[in-house]
Amino acid sequence: CARDFSEVNTNENNPTTVTPDLLLSGVIRNMMNAQVNTAWGIGNIVVQHHAKIQFVNEDRYLWGEQNSVWDEVYSNYRNLQNLFNAVGTDSTNPYLGVSLILKSWMFAVATDTYGDIPYSEAGKAKLEGKYQPKYDTQEEIYAGVLADLKRANSFLAISGSNLNGDILYGGGANALLKWRKLANSLRLRYLMRLSKRKDVGAEMTEILSNPATYPIFERNEDNAELEYFSSAPNQWPLYGARVGSFDEFRVSKTLSDRLTALGDPRLKVFGRPSQRSVTAGTPKIEGIPNGLSDVNALAYNGGVQGVSRVGYTFACLVCNDAGQAAPDPAAPRALLMTYAELQFILAEARERNMITTGDAATYYNNGITANFEYWKSIVPPQYGIDVTMPANYLSQSGVAYTGGQADKLGKIALQKWVAYYFNGLEAWFDWRRTRMPAIVPGPSNLNNDRVPVRFIYPQKEQSLNGASRKAAVDRQGVDDMNTLMWIAK
Amino acid sequence: GKVISGDDKQPLPGATIQVKGASKKTITDNAGNFTIQAGNNDLLIISSIGFTTQEISAAQAGNIVLAVDTRGLGEVVVTALGIKKERKKLGYALQEVKGEDLTVARESNVVNQLAGKVAGVTVIGSPSGVGGSARVSIRGERSVDLNKNQPLYVVDGVPISNAINGGSGSNNMEVDFGNGASFINPDDIESMNVLKGAAAAALYGSRAANGVVMIKTKSGRKQKGIGVEVNSNLTLESALKLPEYQKVYGQGNASGGDFAFVNGGGAGMADGTDEGWGPAFRGQLYPQFNSPRTLNGEAIPFTGGDMNAPAGSVITPTAWEPDNNNLKDFLETGRTFTNNVALVGGNDHGDFRLSYTNLNQTGIVPNTDLKRNTTSFSAGYHLTPKFSARAFASYIKSESDNRPSISYGTESIMYLFNCWLPASVRVSDLKRLWQRGLEDRQQYNWNYNYHDNPYMTVYENTNGQYYDRLIGNVILRYDLASWLNLQVRTATDWSSERREYRRAFSTQRFPFGEYREVNIINEERNTDFLFAADKEINSNFSFNATLGGNQMRQTSRFTEGTAGQLNVPGVYRLTNSRIPLVSGQNNVAKRINSFYGSAGVSYKNKLFLDVTGRNDWSSALTLPEDLKAFGTEQNSYFYSSVALSAIISDMVKLPSVISFAKLRGSFAQVGNDTDPFAYTQTYFSTNPFGGSQVYEETDRLSNLNLKPEISTAFEFGADLRFWQNRVGLDVTYYQGNTKNQILNIPLSNTSGYTSRVINAGAIRNHGIEVMLNVTPIKTKSFAWDAYVNFSHNRSKVLELRDGLTNYVVADRSVSIEARVGERMGDMYGIGFARVQNSDPNAPYYDATGEYTGQMVFAANGRPVATTERIKLGNYNPDWLMGVGNTFTYKGIRLSCLFDIRQGGKLYSLTQTVGREGGIIKETLEGRADGYDMSKPGNGVVGNGVVQQADGKFATNTTKVAVREWHSAWTGGRNIAEGVMYDASFVKLRELQIGYTFPGAFKKGLIKGMNISLVGRNLLLWDNVPHVDPEVMSYAGGTALPGIEYMSLPSSRSYGVNLSFKL
Repeated sequence: CARDFSEVNTNENNPTTVTPDLLLSGVIRNMMNAQVNTAWGIGNIVVQHHAKIQFVNEDRYLWGEQNSVWDEVYSNYRNLQNLFNAVGTDSTNPYLGVSLILKSWMFAVATDTYGDIPYSEAGKAKLEGKYQPKYDTQEEIYAGVLADLKRANSFLAISGSNLNGDILYGGGANALLKWRKLANSLRLRYLMRLSKRKDVGAEMTEILSNPATYPIFERNEDNAELEYFSSAPNQWPLYGARVGSFDEFRVSKTLSDRLTALGDPRLKVFGRPSQRSVTAGTPKIEGIPNGLSDVNALAYNGGVQGVSRVGYTFACLVCNDAGQAAPDPAAPRALLMTYAELQFILAEARERNMITTGDAATYYNNGITANFEYWKSIVPPQYGIDVTMPANYLSQSGVAYTGGQADKLGKIALQKWVAYYFNGLEAWFDWRRTRMPAIVPGPSNLNNDRVPVRFIYPQKEQSLNGASRKAAVDRQGVDDMNTLMWIAK
Repeated sequence: GKVISGDDKQPLPGATIQVKGASKKTITDNAGNFTIQAGNNDLLIISSIGFTTQEISAAQAGNIVLAVDTRGLGEVVVTALGIKKERKKLGYALQEVKGEDLTVARESNVVNQLAGKVAGVTVIGSPSGVGGSARVSIRGERSVDLNKNQPLYVVDGVPISNAINGGSGSNNMEVDFGNGASFINPDDIESMNVLKGAAAAALYGSRAANGVVMIKTKSGRKQKGIGVEVNSNLTLESALKLPEYQKVYGQGNASGGDFAFVNGGGAGMADGTDEGWGPAFRGQLYPQFNSPRTLNGEAIPFTGGDMNAPAGSVITPTAWEPDNNNLKDFLETGRTFTNNVALVGGNDHGDFRLSYTNLNQTGIVPNTDLKRNTTSFSAGYHLTPKFSARAFASYIKSESDNRPSISYGTESIMYLFNCWLPASVRVSDLKRLWQRGLEDRQQYNWNYNYHDNPYMTVYENTNGQYYDRLIGNVILRYDLASWLNLQVRTATDWSSERREYRRAFSTQRFPFGEYREVNIINEERNTDFLFAADKEINSNFSFNATLGGNQMRQTSRFTEGTAGQLNVPGVYRLTNSRIPLVSGQNNVAKRINSFYGSAGVSYKNKLFLDVTGRNDWSSALTLPEDLKAFGTEQNSYFYSSVALSAIISDMVKLPSVISFAKLRGSFAQVGNDTDPFAYTQTYFSTNPFGGSQVYEETDRLSNLNLKPEISTAFEFGADLRFWQNRVGLDVTYYQGNTKNQILNIPLSNTSGYTSRVINAGAIRNHGIEVMLNVTPIKTKSFAWDAYVNFSHNRSKVLELRDGLTNYVVADRSVSIEARVGERMGDMYGIGFARVQNSDPNAPYYDATGEYTGQMVFAANGRPVATTERIKLGNYNPDWLMGVGNTFTYKGIRLSCLFDIRQGGKLYSLTQTVGREGGIIKETLEGRADGYDMSKPGNGVVGNGVVQQADGKFATNTTKVAVREWHSAWTGGRNIAEGVMYDASFVKLRELQIGYTFPGAFKKGLIKGMNISLVGRNLLLWDNVPHVDPEVMSYAGGTALPGIEYMSLPSSRSYGVNLSFKL
């Protein structure tokens, strides 16, 4: 009575196995899009690159749940896990090294966002029946991340070059070196972040003293960034936004004040002159303070015409100013890590004598120069935005690598903060470590003048993985946005 | 002799004639004739189902008129598999709705009409206006999977599809395209029988666990000769309940400043905002989107909203006034015109009915419509006295050029009206869709920041549906012996549906427009055979049995193509795509083979015992070949039922007030399988990234060891009649348990997957149903009949497996959860923090107890939210009641039906966001005189306490500015507690007054004529602001009860129905 039933119940709509390249491309795209969306939604706001004029909850620290990082990391980890399953332990398979780098980065982002999270037991439902993974401590996760990055670098050094689906570096033999550079650069990023809790000098030194074994970013071309296309659907993720939704986000006064003080032309990339100042014939970029109330935000400086819109480079299709053409959706890129960031890490490490290689001022100046060059290469010439570094830029007192160590570290932090523009939540993570440059909560903030330092766990975890979450909360402290996680203590 | 029906004076075939005291017996032929050998002194017993049994002496045999059994006890009802049975023999509850109750006061979705008419049935209709879907649950919920609680729909004994295919996807918002049953034409329905319990339904197998709605189609069987039946119905629809908006303040952002339109995007004063926190209406002059423009002082044919107006043109300010009837004027009077004509004929050998129905409906939302043509043919023929054939075919062609988008988002007009349309916008001026000279390219609007012109939304951005469906069956029946027959049946339900989503250029979310086409082909074929035996063993015992088998084949094929951007505006073809097309496909198949049988014994026609058994083999529980080695398979499952009924009034002497008493009881099991492909874990493709193809694994984890799920149920009932049947009372108690439920349970996504298919859980539901019929007055010319249907159901979660303590059924602003030990349908969400004095270590502890229970406010005057989700209520009603009354006086018939629902909670998103936008009338609280906080009546002080530095509490005195207050009330859409409402209501569901023209009229050409004035959903009493509590939201084809998500206003309808026969 059940003849042919096996055949009837066979799903022929979709494959049950796929090759690694088909999964790799998806993980990279999803995670890089998430970088942009997370930066836009909250990262740029909390570090005061941007401020909101409408629906100001985020800006007033009325955060509620912020689940996007969690959801993106774990849902893409499923595909990464399948990649690992397909590759096995073959260290000469380039997908292994590349996947380890992506895994390390994803879990570092997730733990930096939430604190203790599922890591060692995550993604194991299919093979090991782990349905309610335990939350590992941040210390354990960081140890795993750093170890994996190191392994990835060594695997890729000996692996074959048959790498496809690599939409970050283009695949093939050329890409392998860049992935290794990314692995080691990320290691330096995470070692620096760990430096509050551990002495990381030896490990940093090991990397820097063996450039052949541990290649790191050497120029902007090494940047881990995703390039978009001019036609849908793989355009700059904000390109399809409604104009009103896009314009709820404006240039923060913090950003405009700091960059204006330095005469920094990068501000012209990040923001547009306010429409009122343009009409009046005196175009100038006017930011708005963060954390105003609904009413005050919309009324600030005489209304929205007196507040600068976010840069044309990042705008949506219909977010051009009057008389402007539609922006190019292939111009802006999703960022994972840049050469400039690495230079600032090295500058700080050298300044603090965690490493002995190189010169802090050189690293610092390299970082600034690289970031100027980066934006110069990104902004299409037809936009008419000149991002050339002014001749006296590096020598002016606000930038020049002078003063006491605190001054110098502050300058590094400031320039790093600028270079972190639109890079996920990285600027916030770094601020949490250094508390530089200062973030002053807005006047109508709803968090008792405290800047939040983490996201709360998704509320659904209370229902779906309650015991594991509770153990983490008991260990880490109350599940709110003001609880300082281990790495930042 | 010849037996004649006392009802229509027509010959009565199939009546039994028996010689009293002997075994000699015969039945009448199709012409009512019989011959039997008997002595003149013998008594003949003449009986037929539905008629009073009569004894006459053989000598008197001739034309014997059998009187109709007015007690209704011999009433024949159709039970599972189309088997006819006398109602009194049933061991379970069954309730019938007659066809005429469906066609006079009608709805385009016939399923909606079960509300109030059948005890224990909950119907929640979608207020999409034009034949949207209806969620039916019978006796509450058995499954935590909301999609699994729907009954099975059966036409002429054969199941049909009731699929709901979700209307969202590819960035399109939810559209309710109707469920399968919604397309059935009420004019072709003779009766609908609702089989409520598992025992009634056990023979239908898996899908009947939630009850069965059995539809019997009309035939020409009662007709002698040729006749014509005509039914015409015209109804008008208008909104039953409109949201109440504030009409005091116009567009703005509570800055207290003026308004000026420049570009609708923020270049003027507050012209970029979409909220109603602007200046009060004092007739002052402001430049607005609809204000005229001048150039150098000359009038030009452009207005403020024409962004392409000549440079240098100036907007002339016009009066700042509220549009008092914006939604009311926007909505239209819906019209439904239904015409049915049927040609019927019959003679001794056969009958036929050919019917054509045309339904032409326009909804209350402009440019929404439904055109449905149904042609049905039914015929039966007695090929030989023993061999007969019947066939039924119905072809339904349903077309809708536009069904409204529902839910929250730019494609929904209620999103605009309830949340983001300030009263200052004169909506009628938006009938001009395009900016002058930019037709088809650039919309004309009051706001260019966020929104679409609502007329463009309904006239240009349409969701069309073109649906063809063929339902047909063929039934052959052969009488192998006088007590044994064989029936063979085959039936097909085939539908082909095309959906066309069109989005015009300049739509906010589709600047280059969009065209998406979805094609869905569903087919279900059922083929079965059934031996039926009915034999009298001796004068005390008779026996009946059935044995049958069924094969069900289901296939569905879904394909879609999306042109995400268009080259040329207005050309809605996939070939007009500006970017690579995105396609999708999904083919699904399922088969179930079954054998089943039943046996029944009756003792002296007063004690009845029935047992049934069925074994199913399901393809959905069969492992695919390549997975056989990895799992255990149980694709065969058996289940059975037993039912007992006793006519107590025929067994013992009862007080004379009791004219009839029957007790019944039953126990049944029903097995169930799952959806196809539950075993396979696949990868699906998404948009390629340049040259790189992209695949992702599905996030649902399969299970290779699924077992069938089994529900068991028992019920007890009594059917009592008093005072010569003037009062009838039918009471049922039931209890059901569902075990091994096959569920797609949500997982923590940290496991890598968001859900997993498992056998889990046990849910118990129990309840009572009461049906009371009373005829308080009955005279020769006047009668008053009344009925009450009452039901009460409770479903409880007994167990979830694998350490699960809760199951998230749905999560949309509030989470509907099944928690072990709790009721089904409980809703959880963030609440207001309150003072407590039970736990000194928990927040807001008040040792004095003075402030216990009070809301806690922060120092800034905003309500404090709880950190964890709390229980906010349950969406299920405590009880439901339908109260109907019918008055007949000569040819005049007046009837009304009230539907009452007590209890159940509703979350209102309209309330949440309408407050934020300053649109709904509640937002006048705190702005008695504008926005200046120094003026009295401005700002709101929340009613509660503030915790001081020393931990003590004091009454909150902090005033919060009005705009801030109304979003603080929901903590920025986080706190649900403040927008939960009691969904109890009383509805005047139906009112009819009809006149049947008197007998004299019948003698002419026209045999019967009735004219009725009808109304449905005429009045509503409830406590939910703005929306009809009887609404639901949709998510991916799943109807979510208890959550209101920008629902369209429900409608009241009134009209006239005319029917006559030739």
